[in-house]
Amino acid sequence: MIAATGPHIDVEALSPLLALTGGGLVVLLVGLLRPRVVREVLVPLLALASLAAALGLAIWQWDADEEIIAGALRVDTLALAFTAFVIVAAAITVLLSWRAVAPREAAHGEYYAMLLVSAAGMSVLVQAQNLVSLFIGFELLSVPLYVLCASEMRRSSSLEAGLKYLIIGSVGSATLLYGLALIYGATGRTDFAAIADALNSVGGPVSDPLFLTGLALSVVGLAFKVSVAPFHQWTPDAYEGAPTPVTAFMATATKVAALGVIIRFFDVALINAQPDWAPALAALATITIVVGNVGAIGQTSVKRLLAWSSVAQAGYMLAGIVVGTQHGIEAVAFYLAAYLVMNMAAFAVVVARARETGLGDAIEALEGIGQSKPLLAWPMTIAMLGLAGIPGTAGFIGKFFLIDGAVDGDYAWLGIVIVVGSAVSLVYYLKVVAAMWMRPAPRSVPVLAGGAVDDPPADAPAGPRAAGGEVTLVAVGCAAGPVVFGVLPGPLFDIARDAAAAMSHLF
Amino acid sequence: MLRSYLPALVFLAIGGILALVFTYANTLLGPTPRKTVKATYEPYESGLPSEVKRTFRFGISFYMIAMLFLLFDVEVIFLFPVAVKLREFGTFAMYEAITFIGLLAVAFVYVWRRGALSWR
Repeated sequence: MIAATGPHIDVEALSPLLALTGGGLVVLLVGLLRPRVVREVLVPLLALASLAAALGLAIWQWDADEEIIAGALRVDTLALAFTAFVIVAAAITVLLSWRAVAPREAAHGEYYAMLLVSAAGMSVLVQAQNLVSLFIGFELLSVPLYVLCASEMRRSSSLEAGLKYLIIGSVGSATLLYGLALIYGATGRTDFAAIADALNSVGGPVSDPLFLTGLALSVVGLAFKVSVAPFHQWTPDAYEGAPTPVTAFMATATKVAALGVIIRFFDVALINAQPDWAPALAALATITIVVGNVGAIGQTSVKRLLAWSSVAQAGYMLAGIVVGTQHGIEAVAFYLAAYLVMNMAAFAVVVARARETGLGDAIEALEGIGQSKPLLAWPMTIAMLGLAGIPGTAGFIGKFFLIDGAVDGDYAWLGIVIVVGSAVSLVYYLKVVAAMWMRPAPRSVPVLAGGAVDDPPADAPAGPRAAGGEVTLVAVGCAAGPVVFGVLPGPLFDIARDAAAAMSHLF
Repeated sequence: MLRSYLPALVFLAIGGILALVFTYANTLLGPTPRKTVKATYEPYESGLPSEVKRTFRFGISFYMIAMLFLLFDVEVIFLFPVAVKLREFGTFAMYEAITFIGLLAVAFVYVWRRGALSWR
């Protein structure tokens, strides 16, 4: 009889993940209790507590650089920084959901538990350094999000968003899985470092059609998930139909996680095949920037506008990955953080105005708030200017780094595409700003009485109501981010540099 | 460098053509029965008629039963090897099994409190 020993479990390195999953379980069970105050106050508070614990543990682990679970996950500064971004996004989502319709309809316990589990999936994803854990992370991220999209069960557009996201997401997952299987078939390895070695070997599979097909299919699968054009068609519909807090979470945290895993997948596992994938990714980034910015121009719904804008922003950030340098990854990490707070500020304002006006997410809901609601108008203005990349905001510095990284990595033309794309984006970002400051407030606010409207706009089932202080707090707090880091980018830049330092094999 | 994708494209094209050939070859080459009855197009020409229609409906309760089955089935699959090798792994395996059962207990409490166990 062989004396067997259990594997070593590094509980410390796993702790942020354990806090998220454990929090999800507790929240699920507490949500079953009868009293209303428990469900509506204690459950979100517990969700916030577990997110705070996970954030604290991630920061406590900051200098870690180790492989855990037999090399399936890697805890390094890149993973921890991106995990921290995801946790911040999830915490903001909890605040935006506090008085939202979705958790009430889908039951609070389930709603917040799925949010936490999705965040845990994102954390797995950014730590993944193995094809299998990559796929598990993607599924753990996606499946709760499909349900969250459809969580406003009485509104048909929410169900439609959930169903669309489910079908397209499944197609993306299947494509990705097929691609990963072919890469495994070509290289014979699942962990990223071994794949890189296999690709580096003389006469290796770099030009093997099997490997290239796998590479192409996994690029397509990942492109579906990050909504990179031409695989972005689901984005506006899913973002518009989903409850606004969920949209905010999808637009920010999913992008962080997916770009995090793209960095690791392309810049670690496939770095030796960079000449093969870099032109393809650069072309995708260009198409994405063009399609996203042009698509956003004609939108009248702020959520759709932000959805298209997020497509374009994903294109900007892909540019930092194309070049395959530490500089590019630094720029991506910096831009992701800026993008996260700017989008969260914008979505918080959308949530607040949808509740106050009953106009849903139409751009009319923002008209005239420059005079009447400066605490909402300023955050939205800062968010729009930041996303457009106006100097003085973190968006400008982030774009500057991205363009610098692209030029540095011999992709100067991609830098030019980013500049042109940003110029075009001013058309629709300034449209929102103009609506807030230069148009009078609508005189009468239509109250949607039930029955007449077949499909009321998002977040407006019951007419005007108070926005809630926490939403204004999120808007102001998140808008402070781009301004502070736009003037003093130092602290955020240090985080980005630490994150990129984890990719020490790159230049 | 993009030229090296050419074999991959050929691979995809051949794959697509093969799929189409296999789909339509039977219709083109296969014998067409002169006299067709309804049973000709059934998967099995003899035996019980397959009654299931596209509009066939079954109670949502079966879905719940299937979920519960998964819950306990998976539990048994994973607990069996632990039971066999418990002595060699010692306390480690015991803690692992307890954690695993604890997670399943959460799921069980959840479906129970949600009323999945009451047949409606």
